[in-house]
Amino acid sequence: MQAKEFKVKWGMAIDIDKCTGCGACMVACQAENNLSPIEDASNKIKVMNWLVVYELSNKKPFPEHDVAYLPRPCQQCGTPPCVSVCPVIATDKNEEGGIVSQIYPRCIGCRYCMAACPYHARYFNWLDPVWPEGMEKALTPDVSVRPRGVVEKCSFCHHRFMMAKDKAIVEGRDPEALADGEYVTSCTEACPNGAIVFGDLNNPDHQVYELARSKYASRLLERLHADTQVYYISRREWVRRQLDNYLDNEKVKG
Amino acid sequence: MAVDRRGFLKFVAGVSAGVMVTPIPWKLLDDASIWTQNWPWIPSNVDGATSYVSTVSKLCPSCVGMKVRLVGDRPVRILPDENHPLSKGGISPLAVAEAQMLYSPARVKRPLKRAADGAYVAISWEEADALLAEKLGAAKGSIACVSGDETGSINEVLSSLAVQAGSGNFYLMPTEAQPAAKALAAMGGKGQLGYDIENSDYVLAIGANVLETWGPVISTRAAYKAARPHGEDPAVQFVFAGPVQNSTAAGADQWVPIKAGTEGVFALGIAHLLIKAGATADAADFSAFKSLAEAYTPAKVAEITGTNADQLKAVAAALLKARTPLVVCGSDFGQGTGAGTVMAGIAVNMLLGGLNRKGGLKLLPVAEPVVSSAMSRAEMMDKDFVSYMSRINAGKEKAPKAMVFYEANPAYALPQATKMSEVLGQVSFKVTFTTFLDETAMLCDLVLPVPMGLERLDDVATPYGYGQALYCLARPVAPMPASVKPAGDYIVALAGKLGCSLGVSSWEEVLQAKAKAMDADWDSLMDGNVFTSDATVSANLSFAADLLAKSVNVKAQEGNFAVAPVFKLGIGTAKTAIPPYNNKLIRRWELQGNELYVAMNGATARKLGVMMHDKIVISNKSGSINARVNIFEGIMNDTITVLMGLGHTAFDQFSKGKGENVMQLLTVGFEAGTGLSVWNMAGVTISKA
Repeated sequence: MQAKEFKVKWGMAIDIDKCTGCGACMVACQAENNLSPIEDASNKIKVMNWLVVYELSNKKPFPEHDVAYLPRPCQQCGTPPCVSVCPVIATDKNEEGGIVSQIYPRCIGCRYCMAACPYHARYFNWLDPVWPEGMEKALTPDVSVRPRGVVEKCSFCHHRFMMAKDKAIVEGRDPEALADGEYVTSCTEACPNGAIVFGDLNNPDHQVYELARSKYASRLLERLHADTQVYYISRREWVRRQLDNYLDNEKVKG
Repeated sequence: MAVDRRGFLKFVAGVSAGVMVTPIPWKLLDDASIWTQNWPWIPSNVDGATSYVSTVSKLCPSCVGMKVRLVGDRPVRILPDENHPLSKGGISPLAVAEAQMLYSPARVKRPLKRAADGAYVAISWEEADALLAEKLGAAKGSIACVSGDETGSINEVLSSLAVQAGSGNFYLMPTEAQPAAKALAAMGGKGQLGYDIENSDYVLAIGANVLETWGPVISTRAAYKAARPHGEDPAVQFVFAGPVQNSTAAGADQWVPIKAGTEGVFALGIAHLLIKAGATADAADFSAFKSLAEAYTPAKVAEITGTNADQLKAVAAALLKARTPLVVCGSDFGQGTGAGTVMAGIAVNMLLGGLNRKGGLKLLPVAEPVVSSAMSRAEMMDKDFVSYMSRINAGKEKAPKAMVFYEANPAYALPQATKMSEVLGQVSFKVTFTTFLDETAMLCDLVLPVPMGLERLDDVATPYGYGQALYCLARPVAPMPASVKPAGDYIVALAGKLGCSLGVSSWEEVLQAKAKAMDADWDSLMDGNVFTSDATVSANLSFAADLLAKSVNVKAQEGNFAVAPVFKLGIGTAKTAIPPYNNKLIRRWELQGNELYVAMNGATARKLGVMMHDKIVISNKSGSINARVNIFEGIMNDTITVLMGLGHTAFDQFSKGKGENVMQLLTVGFEAGTGLSVWNMAGVTISKA
């Protein structure tokens, strides 16, 4: 399937070597996008997380062991497997910017998209979202709360994109030529290590443009040809090797 | 009328076409989907005008600077603050949840009194005032105060109260600042230790978890960020020495495994190699130190610390090669380390010529107290709370008649936590000023609710470890709940009622005086600006070689295995427990349901004959915990790691009853030479459950 091309393509370059797994991005994401807390978060089947930081291991015994952390938002595939399976077109990739949408009121909760997504980036609301009494006052006005029974996922903080475009329009600028850093996701903004760089993958003025072309940059399960918009950078070969199912005798990029 | 086959088919076709054409079923489906997603119990967004206020976190031990996004008057997001030196565009995983913590189910909403049957009853502030005045009045001369706020001027008010109305017993909850202050004082230094990580080109962290919990971690991580452009060779090398491949080790260029509690020995091993390479220092007792370091040969250090001699040599060589190397010694879980460890670290920095040098170790000025009879920072740092509790337990010192806790949770956070709670039981009247109903509040006779940092005026003065003298204000950005009172003004008034003369009449006056003492401009601070100063205190340090020789000695541990607690800021602190959003940060094999998982490497598991998920009992003379096994190879042999911040018996549904409290296993010992209480080495025995 041919990836749909856009003039603006929002993407990330995440430096795995800089991530220390603190989780600031995960908490910032929940607060920004109005995810609800859960009493038993060890039940990973029912926990809602648009962004998860995975732990990677080089699988060598002590003392040769090495560890790395991989933050995984929605990869915003160029050819999204979730879109083609949705029976009600609740998810689509149609807007300038290339963000895969998720229309909650249209979702019927069939979860085909979850089965199709190779990145486990989609989550089903098994439970009603419940906030401790009063905590709903800390909800942001930008993202609607999703009810039980629908699938949700990372939207690259789409509301921030809308706000940045609105601002550009009000100031008489081209909303499709936002400056680098004018629109960033909540996780990008929160990361104290600066591990996430966000921007337009098609715009040479954006830092992410060069980073995506780095010899150390590769994408998750790249050989599925989902043409994702999230690039991972690591100077460590064992990390790059784990980003796809490489055979022992296969070479990886970089 | 008979219906033939053709007629029936026509009818079916007509109905089908009708259904397809009419909008009714589609409209009904649409309505149904909308109706089923507009349940009244699902909260709706409330819009309002957005504004931003810059302030500093009093909740997170990193004292991170932050920008609060308000919608109307509601704080909804905590964002990084580019302009704050303690944020520099980053935010901690704890502070980022602070707006939501305002509505934590564990918040104390009104004063509570313990009734005769042990239950808590809500009382009015008038009743609380009367009870407090009566009980503290009766206990006058025997009141101890304990504070969990290391950087605030509230400590001056509390210490003045303890000096004037009590027995002079004011204590800070233990952190890394006390052993550091003790080390500096022993070496003849004045002021406060500051580490200029931002300008260093080689950072060796021995024990100190600099990228997760040590010092002003978000500012440290800003320096880390700046030095490491994506995918390029880092401009600054970070090396971490410690028993576990923790967050700092994960971000560092090199992890040097060393046993917990042997940080000082490792530093002396480095000193040995530096001196051998010709390093020297202008200190009177250099020759004494040289002979001390002489004994710490790579082979001996490797034997004691469990490290590899070649790795030690490589680190020493890299330090010599660096232009502005910096060594940071501390604890990988933020407390319990000895002064000897820090002294050894200072000694290495002295050999590297790093004292009061850009990118080195700085001695920062500390402002004099502004409250009459208040303890100076040096005096506060000299007071050892764990040692005090141990003396009471041993009958060497009488328990005070009353104890006042301010944002402190010793019943959970001290080593041998259960024993410490028993000691607290000897105190006849206990009152706590707290935001959350924590374990200590559950032991108190009176619980007084105080506002959170976002709701009050408070201050932060040079957090331990930061490379410059700093002063800034936490400004109230959210409306305070009706039945909560700011502790600053309340304690100032309380001290007055107890006959203390503080020399100030309000909390704001204390802060204004403090700002003046720091040379900061009050109006500018109130606008959200931060005062920083490059001033340093002149240093003529000695190596205190005799004391170092005694204090750095590693004692034999109990049992065959060592416990290495793992402190992650995101999981919360003893003061906050696990914030509601943050329990999702706990990894799958750290906690399942309420069951704790502890980690060990494969070799240790084989030695014990256990496999992943097996149940084990970890015990020593201090306590015992039950857990299941997780295998993680980033741990030294014969060491198990336990996540801190679990096993709460108070707070809310997000924390209570989950896992076990590792503090139960940490046994208090006393450092030779300095007498400081230490608990950075916990030996345990492990058996299958």
